[in-house]
Amino acid sequence: MSDNQKRILDLLAEKKISVDEAQRLLSLTGSEKDTGAKGPDDTPAPMGKPRYFRVQVQPEDGSGKKSVNVRIPMALIRAGMKLNSLIPGHASDEVNEALREKGIDFDVRNLKPEDFEELVAALTDLEVDVKGGREKVHIYVE
Amino acid sequence: MKCPPLLLRLGIGRRRFPVWLPLFLLWPVAAAVIIVLAPLVLLAALILRPLGWGKLVIISGPMFFGVLCALRGLELNLNLGNRLVLISFK
Repeated sequence: MSDNQKRILDLLAEKKISVDEAQRLLSLTGSEKDTGAKGPDDTPAPMGKPRYFRVQVQPEDGSGKKSVNVRIPMALIRAGMKLNSLIPGHASDEVNEALREKGIDFDVRNLKPEDFEELVAALTDLEVDVKGGREKVHIYVE
Repeated sequence: MKCPPLLLRLGIGRRRFPVWLPLFLLWPVAAAVIIVLAPLVLLAALILRPLGWGKLVIISGPMFFGVLCALRGLELNLNLGNRLVLISFK
């Protein structure tokens, strides 16, 4: 039990706050804990909203001679999604045509910010590690 | 509050030490230019309104500002052996 939670219970015992207020404050301290970095046994607590999309490519031997380290803020992807509404209709058709040529049957006009949020939520637990050849590829969100 | 990136760390080529560009010096100038151009943009929006582009002209500014602000935290670090590409917005 954290200090904050003890303090809330003390205030309740002293009747300085009502049960409802104590409940509300306790729920707030609970959400604080969820967003914290560590859990009670020093294991990482469940992640909040991911902020960055990371791609790292490093050589297997660890020499670091050739490496790629990309960090893309989720906010940038979100802002880019909003720009979708600025794409003129004929440009969308051309993009769709190009995608179709690559075997992807998708209409870019159907891209909605809500879909992206769903995708981000699904990405939270994603971690891709590819070890092959001389490089190691690590894709994750943080 | 959204804030555009204040610094850009840029290293391209064989530079071992990337340069720090103070982007924050540009923003007051950019703000002044935007204020000066705002009436022209409004005029353009009014002219293009019958074509259905008026709203687009008005909302494109805040949208691009959103993209600019979202650049904060973007980092590209490519080490290609003898060449280095580093772009980092702070």
